[in-house]
Amino acid sequence: MTVEPATSLDSKDLRRRSRKAKVVAPPPSPRLRLPRPIRRLRRQAPMYAIQGLSGLSTRLRQVTGREVIDMNRVMEAVQFVYQQRELAMRGPDYAVDEFGFDAQWTESLLTLFKALYRDYWRVETTGIENVPATGRALLVANHAGVLPWDGTMIKTAIFAEHPHPRHVRALVASLFMGMPVLSWFLRRTGQTVGHPDDTRRLLERDELVLVFPEGVKGTGKPFKDRYRLRRFGRGGFVSTAIRAGAPIIPVSVVGSEEIYPMIGDALPVAKFFGLPYFPLTPTWPWLGALGLIPLPSKWRIQFHPAVHTETHPPEAADDQNVVMTISDEVRNTIQAGVYENLKLRRGVFT
Amino acid sequence: MSSPPGPRRVLITGVSNPLGADVARRLATQVPSLFGCDVADPVSAIEDMDFVHADTRQSVIGKLVRRLRIDTVVHMAVTVDSAGEHRAAHETNVIGTMNVLAGCAGPSSPVRRLVVKSSQAVYGAAPGDASFITEDMAGSDRPAYGLKRDLLEMEQLAQEFALRSSACRVSVLRLGYRVSEGTTLNRYLSLPIVPTFAGFDPRLQLLHEDDAAEAVVRAALQPHEGVFNVAADGIVLLSQAIAIMGGKPAPILPPYGRWIGRLALRGAGVDMPSHLADFLTFGSVTDCSRLARTFGWKPGYSTRAVMDSLARGRDVEVIEAPSPPQEYELQVYLQRRRRLQQNGRPSGALAAPR
Repeated sequence: MTVEPATSLDSKDLRRRSRKAKVVAPPPSPRLRLPRPIRRLRRQAPMYAIQGLSGLSTRLRQVTGREVIDMNRVMEAVQFVYQQRELAMRGPDYAVDEFGFDAQWTESLLTLFKALYRDYWRVETTGIENVPATGRALLVANHAGVLPWDGTMIKTAIFAEHPHPRHVRALVASLFMGMPVLSWFLRRTGQTVGHPDDTRRLLERDELVLVFPEGVKGTGKPFKDRYRLRRFGRGGFVSTAIRAGAPIIPVSVVGSEEIYPMIGDALPVAKFFGLPYFPLTPTWPWLGALGLIPLPSKWRIQFHPAVHTETHPPEAADDQNVVMTISDEVRNTIQAGVYENLKLRRGVFT
Repeated sequence: MSSPPGPRRVLITGVSNPLGADVARRLATQVPSLFGCDVADPVSAIEDMDFVHADTRQSVIGKLVRRLRIDTVVHMAVTVDSAGEHRAAHETNVIGTMNVLAGCAGPSSPVRRLVVKSSQAVYGAAPGDASFITEDMAGSDRPAYGLKRDLLEMEQLAQEFALRSSACRVSVLRLGYRVSEGTTLNRYLSLPIVPTFAGFDPRLQLLHEDDAAEAVVRAALQPHEGVFNVAADGIVLLSQAIAIMGGKPAPILPPYGRWIGRLALRGAGVDMPSHLADFLTFGSVTDCSRLARTFGWKPGYSTRAVMDSLARGRDVEVIEAPSPPQEYELQVYLQRRRRLQQNGRPSGALAAPR
């Protein structure tokens, strides 16, 4: 065999590999090389800015007597920016689990969600001790508010408040999994499609699984029906929990109903786009993308004591009587919790 | 039913396609007599195999099987990656399989073992699919079209055959998507700027060519029956796969009305069938635990390793072929050179293994 083509192939192969390396970490082009003092200044500018800001914050606190610039928040924002930059440098060398969940990326985004959680919706969470620190459990919550922000907030609550932070894996209607952007985002942050087989697999991996048995009937209900729970499907979540031997933890969420008050439903438009509902709110679709901004209602989340399904034998999963009894019990717990928390809340926005 | 002795006289249909040839090469050392048939000439000579010019779309297989006293048929003449040739693929997959099954049926048939190649494409890909598709989730309520419908029909024929002829053990292998050279997925992923469907980053599960051949060989040699998913462990995201190949993903294809995107891809030289467009939008991952349980074997390459080996240009089965005869090596060398001249980029066939 001749040697010549082999070597030429080799060098070409090497060149291809080096081009691949360039994609991962592009070297700075010589054209953009600035003089050394300016480069040093650029490197140190963020540090100077933070120092200056913290000085200003101290001065303002002394002058006004209250916290005008919260340095903790500023540092969180800075950390967020640096984290995102670092994540962008990973190239293709990061691991996602088999469901497509990127834990590192999700944790970097939690800074944003925590800001929403604390400052925007001022969520008050109770009963977090009812969520187990290890092992499988099925969280069952009421669903409302057109877009599934309640799922995001439950996830954030457990990650921010629980002594042993855990990722919650929510089950999503296949409808959302078929939407551009949303499907990518949901998969990437640990959600999976609401298929009984997926629930079983996640529970068998000892994960915390969040399910909304009301489904799109819950998110698409009109504003006048707020805080009235819809039917809990056919109790499929109970069967799955019994088969997997997982306790069910009912979760009541208050506040999600007011983020997008749905005053109407343009059914012909929904039918055209293949959606189950097309919401009309005071702002959507009249203000365009601005209408997507949720209202800053006051939220409360309560985790109830677990309903233990482990006491039932696995055969009970096929007993529709047992299943519907437990399903109704869970639904009543959530409904009672919703009314209780509504009483505890002083006003919709306070 | 007692376990029959190992296969003695094996017929491979569709031996001229690359996977069929690889299976033949592996089986040649393990069975006493091996026969191969196809409409096209084999790309390379395989010693210890008798080649017969026979079209599965004609009813010659029955005569062939009885005359040669074949006890094991490996049906590889199934097109799972046909760009733009739906009619031909339908003829090969449905009519061809029907003829092969008819040839193997009947009380006078000596066939005791049948392996049918199928594809993961039989599940299609949709947003509501389970994250891990098991063997019994095929044929959902969605209307099937194109390759998926053909494969469903083909598998149904195989199931009916298995029910009717109790003397013959049938196994259907649903092979995962492959990215070896010449496949549509390979052409797609090798584009310098890869247009993707905007807003989607599906999970991909692939299968290495070596593992595909090994699975078929094991199915032919071992007395298992039933339907099996065969695909690599783990997943990669489409964006990761593109980055591994050294390309850049460009989310520019419209997510709705995917035929527009397919037209655009045809302009870029990739003829993408609709089932592949679905796969690259929603992704599909199968659960291969039945294969691992029954065969006691699972694919050696993970999905990530499949992509890595492809990117390194080392995805060549020919170098590792067991003691290839000189003539064969020469043919492979010439073929590689031809391909090199055509594509203008190295396939890595002759690159020294690291």
